[in-house]
Amino acid sequence: MRHEILGSPDFTSARITFEQAGESCVAESGAMVARSGGIQMKTAMRGGLLAAAKRKMLGGESLFQNTFTATAAGQELLLAPAPEGDLQSRILQPNEPFFLQSGAYVAHMGDALNIDTSWGGAKGFFSGMGLFLLKIVGPGTVLYGSYGAIHAVEVDGSYICDTDHIVGFTSGLTYNITKFGGFKSLFLSGEGLVCHFSGRGTLLLQTRNPPSLANFLERYRRVEKSSSND
Amino acid sequence: MQINIKYRPTFALAEVQLQPGEMVRAESGAMVSMSSHVQVSTDATMGGKGGLLGMLKRATLGGESFFTNRFTAAGAPGEVTLAPTLAGDMVVHELTADHALFIQGSSFVACQDGISLDTKFQGMKGFFSGENLFFLKATGDGPVVLNAFGGIETLDLDGELVVDTGHVVAFTSGLDYTVTKASKGWIDSFLSGEGLVLNFSGRGRLWLQSRNPGAYGKTVGALLPARKE
Repeated sequence: MRHEILGSPDFTSARITFEQAGESCVAESGAMVARSGGIQMKTAMRGGLLAAAKRKMLGGESLFQNTFTATAAGQELLLAPAPEGDLQSRILQPNEPFFLQSGAYVAHMGDALNIDTSWGGAKGFFSGMGLFLLKIVGPGTVLYGSYGAIHAVEVDGSYICDTDHIVGFTSGLTYNITKFGGFKSLFLSGEGLVCHFSGRGTLLLQTRNPPSLANFLERYRRVEKSSSND
Repeated sequence: MQINIKYRPTFALAEVQLQPGEMVRAESGAMVSMSSHVQVSTDATMGGKGGLLGMLKRATLGGESFFTNRFTAAGAPGEVTLAPTLAGDMVVHELTADHALFIQGSSFVACQDGISLDTKFQGMKGFFSGENLFFLKATGDGPVVLNAFGGIETLDLDGELVVDTGHVVAFTSGLDYTVTKASKGWIDSFLSGEGLVLNFSGRGRLWLQSRNPGAYGKTVGALLPARKE
């Protein structure tokens, strides 16, 4: 099985080519663009109902994932994330962890790859700031997407970023959620909470963020009066 | 201060490298990331003018929130990365004392601290235009970072040009403008889809954006569920 990244960085997609019958790829529901006729698709709540429900609640991901299995060699699968932006892949060695903001996850290959939502999910969940992280442990390949370009920062020491701009990070980095600036800054700055990273590793940031776009569009929603005469 | 614009043109990101003690001032909400020793303060004085009242005026002008944050590299070199809300390009303009720069409110990303930003100059022009059109006047010496929704077009104008209000990013002080209807009658203006235009004349530089945020907002906003009030 091999994959190619197409159209990077603005409107990126991935083409996965299955080289043998029986090979499979798991993708977030809705990520499929097209597939060859010799690929079977099976929809499942991965990890059973409880695990899927937990993922849904904590990770904000879809409850369902699709498994694409080739019935012959040379079959192709095209995948794309929902927002416009980049798509990258990362090959993980056995026991190598990698952390993804849950909305960034697109697909993975490798039956032994483990996706754990219990790890950082709770930390993000209880802090009430919408940072839900998936801990992905190799071996295998994971595909992740961004809104905007992906800006990689090599952190050695400490570094701060806006939580909405996080795509993911490698092991070696730990994080704390802190207020941005002082008390006044929290209300006026437009940047409420930030992630304070420390350690040594790669931090992946997206150059646009969906909540800001949603906030921009909010102003243009129609207004409906709640009191009616009938 | 060194500013690099990366990932042009669609999803541009401004990477600002600060020397110890240098300060950059950015539109609130633009910060993507920064070195951990960079100090942040919310600007309430806006070039020494206004205090709380000035701040409220800025916040309500044209319905835009307009606050800036100051980022200072304390003790060691540091970086700040900045990005706007919408997809598009960014440019850096080196402002000098011989001209002022008029920036459409949502096109301002950042400037070197020490550049003065003023919203008072425009008088009633901005309010009459009715399309959330407000301009900042930047004066001083140093780089100013502008963002566009879509691509950015730089024009060196000597003469006259009519520009749709939603497509203006910024212009230099050699240019004067009046706000008028696009056509002679109100009905024609309405039907043409070109509501209000800026009539530029003079000599100076003008930056245009290839997409109109208001038009985009209306297109998508109309499809969103209504907000209960």
